[in-house]
Amino acid sequence: MSAHQHAEGQLPHEPEKATLEGRNKVLGFWIFLGAETVLFGTLFSAFIALRHQVLDGPTAQHLFELPMVFASTMILLTSSLMSVFAVQAMHNNKVKAMIGWLLITILLGLAFLGLEITEFNTYVKEGHTLKTSAFSSSFYTLVGFHGAHVAFGVLWIGLLIAQILKKGLTVVTAPKIYLSAIYWHFIDVVWVFIFTVVYLMGKVG
Amino acid sequence: MSSNHSASGEETKRHKVEGPRKHIVAFVMSLALTIIAFAAVAAGEINTTFTYIILVGMAIIQVFIQMAFWMHMKDRGHLFPKIAIFTGVLVVFSAVITALYWVWW
Repeated sequence: MSAHQHAEGQLPHEPEKATLEGRNKVLGFWIFLGAETVLFGTLFSAFIALRHQVLDGPTAQHLFELPMVFASTMILLTSSLMSVFAVQAMHNNKVKAMIGWLLITILLGLAFLGLEITEFNTYVKEGHTLKTSAFSSSFYTLVGFHGAHVAFGVLWIGLLIAQILKKGLTVVTAPKIYLSAIYWHFIDVVWVFIFTVVYLMGKVG
Repeated sequence: MSSNHSASGEETKRHKVEGPRKHIVAFVMSLALTIIAFAAVAAGEINTTFTYIILVGMAIIQVFIQMAFWMHMKDRGHLFPKIAIFTGVLVVFSAVITALYWVWW
């Protein structure tokens, strides 16, 4: 029960925090994100230590193309803003607008994945496979894990849209929308470090 | 801040809903920091160590902006989220140092 009196059937302000269960979900999710930080951090540490070990394979300078990385970065950054708008629409109780923003979010997520698949495909053709060198293994593990998180996010938000269409926006479904947005921002935050450490530093040498 | 329930004072019938402005500002700042980072590499004439410092600096500032505004970490009641994330970051730092030390010395 919310501390405030609300008219029957009306959604409370900030419905994601209106119930104890909702607040607990938010707290639990942040602890999960702390663990995710460690997961990505350890993959980063392996990559940073091994990024010059290319053996006979192509080097980072040879492989990476900045325009493509920049395009991916813009797509993910924009989709992060779109999920901010989705949460704001939720706070204004505009369910249709919220679903619209969520749809744009996952479309941009799919565009990002498409670019990543094209990119990996090009690399494999240039002889940069998972087994080529310590550099290539740590590269695919780190960037691939991030890509898998994007794919999971797309799936998750897609299912949430279906659930909203079926059950509507309630104090039970609202925390899920809020947390999927937090998750999506986290994925974008990880990407900031990936384009910095993997691509830009790789290009510098 | 505007998003918190006010326990004291008169009954607030209408809760203030935050506008999109600060989120758009966060977006534009992220955009600018990204462009600076890419430009520093594309220019290619700055020495390597200095470029690294610019890159990491821009990334850390951008991440702080996004976590504060988009992930609401600047809002009240986010002590545990901060503890969770900074504990994670602490492990990450030790992992990076350990991995470098392990492989290179």
